[in-house]
Amino acid sequence: MVLERKRILVGDDSETITTLLTAALESSGYEVTTASDGQETYDLGRGGEFDLVIIDQLMPGLLGLEVIDRWHDEGMQTPVIVLTGVDDDRTAVDSLDKGAVDFVRKPFRVPELLARVRHRLEA
Amino acid sequence: MTAIEVTQLSALIIFAANALLVAGLIALKTVHRSRARRHHRRKTQYMALISRHVTYANCTDPITNRMASDPAFLDALIDVRNAVVGPEVETLSGIVDRHGVIALQEARLRSQFPLGRRLRAAVALAELGDESAAATLMDHLADREPEVRIQAARGLGRMKWTPAIDAIVARFPVETPWVRARFADTLLGFGAAATWPLIAYIRVNHHFEREGPVAAIRTLAALGDDQAAQPLIEVLRNATDVEVRIATIEALGLLGSLRSAPALRNQARSADWRVRAKAMTAIGDIGDAGSVDIIASGLNDANWWVRRNAAAALTRVKGGVDRLCAALGGDDQYAAHAAAEALTEAGEVGAARQRLDDGRPLERDRVLVERLIGVGA
Repeated sequence: MVLERKRILVGDDSETITTLLTAALESSGYEVTTASDGQETYDLGRGGEFDLVIIDQLMPGLLGLEVIDRWHDEGMQTPVIVLTGVDDDRTAVDSLDKGAVDFVRKPFRVPELLARVRHRLEA
Repeated sequence: MTAIEVTQLSALIIFAANALLVAGLIALKTVHRSRARRHHRRKTQYMALISRHVTYANCTDPITNRMASDPAFLDALIDVRNAVVGPEVETLSGIVDRHGVIALQEARLRSQFPLGRRLRAAVALAELGDESAAATLMDHLADREPEVRIQAARGLGRMKWTPAIDAIVARFPVETPWVRARFADTLLGFGAAATWPLIAYIRVNHHFEREGPVAAIRTLAALGDDQAAQPLIEVLRNATDVEVRIATIEALGLLGSLRSAPALRNQARSADWRVRAKAMTAIGDIGDAGSVDIIASGLNDANWWVRRNAAAALTRVKGGVDRLCAALGGDDQYAAHAAAEALTEAGEVGAARQRLDDGRPLERDRVLVERLIGVGA
């Protein structure tokens, strides 16, 4: 029997973050797709084929919270984890208000992020 | 050869020279773009490699010393370093140690030329914030290149290398305003640890120089450490330079300690209008109700700035609005105008009108609005 790998979409305009998260998530056995701006993240994620989305708040095109808003309006149920700047308390609160399941502050601890991803995917 | 032929030949030469120049510039730009693309490609590969090492403890993908000496590797390392915290930073430090990254950048910084490479090395050492580079960065606080000095201070600040505080402060009098401002930014990163070195520097030097102590006083104000209030009050008592006094008054206002009220009241009586004006603002900043009389006296000052600052300060001090209302109905039309402007800017006039409209006015509201009309504001 072949176990199907969980699919994760990472939306962040920082190549460093997408590369780092890809390495971390793939080494944990997940299949990762990346997007480099808000619009691309929205387009890729709206099909609902991902098990989890990790999205940065500050991106060109559409902000992370705008993307979540649109998905929410379209009835998308995929859990979303928001990445925010370290001093961005408002975004952290707003993202939970808008339906994100969790948020992670940048810079982050990789094992902590992986634990949060694991928790969401196994919940 | 005829004159026409000479003209034609000259035009041809000029045209050919221009064409060569343009072709050269295009070639140069193409080479530069191609190098930038290759650099970016390598950086992306290195970022993936470093990320694998950071996220997977048993990663066996090799990192060679040759890779580690590549500027693209350094850029990737710095980017990843800025994206993570915790044990991953130690993993990155391990990579830096094993491949002699710090030593290489130190050597580049110590070399005489080229400037671009030295600067890149200074930025790398500052970004990596590795304590093994502290001694080198200390040496380069006095580098001949301003940007290298700025990066050296930034790096020392990033690693919170407290012995650097005195060395950075000591550079204040000899630095340009731009470098001094960046040094001040660095000192803010040290937090309260920078308070006493700055105070010591100000105490010793404010009699002999101006720019350094003024910058140090402003840095103290930005640090916001209450411990600085008493020493600054002493500086204010002894300072003879008017710029030092003005900076000290401003700093005391920003620190907001009521202990500084008596000293600020003294300055509000200064013969210099700039000092009086700044003192009015500072008293308003600390909100000392006991100084309301002296601020109100500022409304009748001969200088416009003093009147304006006094009026603005009264809007922030308990009992001040009543004094402004009184000034509106007084004989001094300059004071009345200053009061009207301050009350309007502070929103007192709008609030009074609103309360009157709502039928719940304060005792002074009707008088305030009537007198304001009388002043013509």
